[in-house]
Amino acid sequence: MEIDLDFGPLIASWRFLLGGLGLTLALSALTVLCSLVLGGAVGLARCYGPRWLRWPLVFYIDSMRAIPVLVVLVWGYFALPLVSGVTLPPFWAALAALSVHIAAYVAEIVRAGIESVRPGQTRAALALGMSRAEAVCQVVLPQALVRMLPAFGSILSITIKDTAIASVIAVPEYLNCSQTLAGQSFRPIEVWFVAMAVYFMILFPVTRAVDIAYARLASLGRS
Amino acid sequence: MTLDWAIVWENAGALARGAEITVLLAVATMLLAIPGGVLLALMRLSPVRPLALASAGFTEFFRNLPLLLVIYAAYYILPLTTGISFSPFATALVALALNVSAYNGETFRAGIQSIRKGQSEAALALGMSRAQVMREVVLPQAARRIAPVLASTWVSLFKDTSLVSVIAVGELAYTAMRIRSQSFRVLEMLTAMAAIYWALGYPQAKLTDWLYRRFGVRE
Repeated sequence: MEIDLDFGPLIASWRFLLGGLGLTLALSALTVLCSLVLGGAVGLARCYGPRWLRWPLVFYIDSMRAIPVLVVLVWGYFALPLVSGVTLPPFWAALAALSVHIAAYVAEIVRAGIESVRPGQTRAALALGMSRAEAVCQVVLPQALVRMLPAFGSILSITIKDTAIASVIAVPEYLNCSQTLAGQSFRPIEVWFVAMAVYFMILFPVTRAVDIAYARLASLGRS
Repeated sequence: MTLDWAIVWENAGALARGAEITVLLAVATMLLAIPGGVLLALMRLSPVRPLALASAGFTEFFRNLPLLLVIYAAYYILPLTTGISFSPFATALVALALNVSAYNGETFRAGIQSIRKGQSEAALALGMSRAQVMREVVLPQAARRIAPVLASTWVSLFKDTSLVSVIAVGELAYTAMRIRSQSFRVLEMLTAMAAIYWALGYPQAKLTDWLYRRFGVRE
């Protein structure tokens, strides 16, 4: 079957698409930043925090692993304002929902990294007269962080992919712009081909770098 | 603010039907994606270079696209290029199966490659055929490593089926959001949707953790 392609409408709207791409990248960067901070805090609190805090944190992490990110996003944008009385603009609602979701995965990575350092090392550090904080900061975390690095890389590519879901609450990021353009230009095939090419060109270098990091760093920090 | 939870019970049948379609879609996708993944892994590990390259290209392509984009692209491109009109369910099935096959292919390949070469060489030296080596030495061990990863892929897939609500597949998320916009009971319906996903997904996530503990590789 013959299909004639016409990229004219796409080229004519390059500014519009570039704006969408900028928003995708900004949302991804902010989401990664927020979920690293939040997830790091949750992961540390789960491992070293008071006992009573652990149960609610585990409940939060497991719930986020059980609920689709779309549901968190839609609930946060449409239902949460009815409870809290505060309506966030779509971009900030998406940032909050994505961060809360992805932070749970970050917390799991942090925990796995910390637990991968053998407890004997902490005991040895304590026996040498280090305080608990010193043992964690100078012995456990430096080794754990190296092991977490590749997994944080995967979080980056997962986040970029998940920001596309923000289009559902009308954040004008790249996928949302493509949808608009596909409807207006009557050239959906061209629009979606270009969208696939654009996302691939952003994500492929990230996943390649992560694969290389896994291969390089897997042997480091082994004890 | 007044809450009217009766709306949830009134629509319990529709929600249950939506959940049924969610489960059905996830099962159908996995049934396609396991053979798909095996095929991709075999191609990737085969000595025939074009096959290996084709498999790598397919895998990298679908691993590096947002699933939502694949769903939209399938929705627009499939009917226009094939000339066949796909139902939303069939479109969703194609998009999800392509995505999950790519992940499964990597899982199977990594599982097979994680068994040290020395074992196959030893088995070959003992006079086993290549097929025997695969069946009796490599696969039984690889299966233990593949099982937990496959379970996490399943949990992700189960959640990802919610994305096909954008092309109007009548699964759980679509059903709940449709009732929300008809009844204006936003908080009740969206909370019910989240609660149902939680109730279905939580045990699956816990079961996956158990599989990792049970079969996890300890070194």
